[in-house]
Amino acid sequence: MLQRTSCVDNINIKIVSFASTVQLGDSCIINGLSTALAVQREIEVFYGNEGNLSSYRIFSEPIPFLPITEPFTYSRQNPNPLIKVNKIDIIGISSSSLLHVGNSRNVSMEARIKHIRQLQPTPRNNEGAEEQGQK
Amino acid sequence: MNFHVYNRELFVETIKITGVASSSLVLVGDTETIQLASTFDTPAESLIIGPFVPLSAE
Repeated sequence: MLQRTSCVDNINIKIVSFASTVQLGDSCIINGLSTALAVQREIEVFYGNEGNLSSYRIFSEPIPFLPITEPFTYSRQNPNPLIKVNKIDIIGISSSSLLHVGNSRNVSMEARIKHIRQLQPTPRNNEGAEEQGQK
Repeated sequence: MNFHVYNRELFVETIKITGVASSSLVLVGDTETIQLASTFDTPAESLIIGPFVPLSAE
C-alpha cells in the first residue's frame, strides 16, 4: 500500500519529560504506559520512599476493551500523498506521551493515576469565619 | 459497513499545544490501530482530612 509522507517544517518544544518521546520518522509498534501517584498535601512533608503502587488496585486492575463486532471493510486512496504542517508549537510533553511525525502501525497507550489529597483538620472557628466571609 | 477514504490535499499551517500528558499522543501521519486507555481514581476516601500519615513505603 502506498504510504503518505508527513512533512513538518518547524517543531518547537520547550520540555519533554518523564519517559516521553519525540519520534521523527515511521514506526511499527508503540506501547506507552504511565503510572502516577498524585499526592497533594496541605503541609509540605514528603518522604523519599513513600508510595507503593501495588497496594492500590487501580494500578493492577484490567481495563476492558470492547471488541469490534460490526462487519467492516476499509479501503483508502491517496490522490495527494503528502501531509504538510508548517509549524508545531508545544510547551510540554510529559508522562509517557508522544509526538510522532510519520506513519505507524499499532499504537497502544495507557495511563493510570491515583489522586490523593491530604488536608489538615480545620479548627471550628476558622470554618465559622469562612462562612461569614462568603455571606 | 463499507468505508472508503480519499486523502486529498492536507496542509496545516500551525499546530499550537500547551501540554501533551499522561500517555497522550500527537500524530502527524497515518496509523492502522490506536488503542488508548486511562484510569483516574480520586474517590471520597482519597480525601484524607486528619493528622498526617505518610503513604506506605516502596
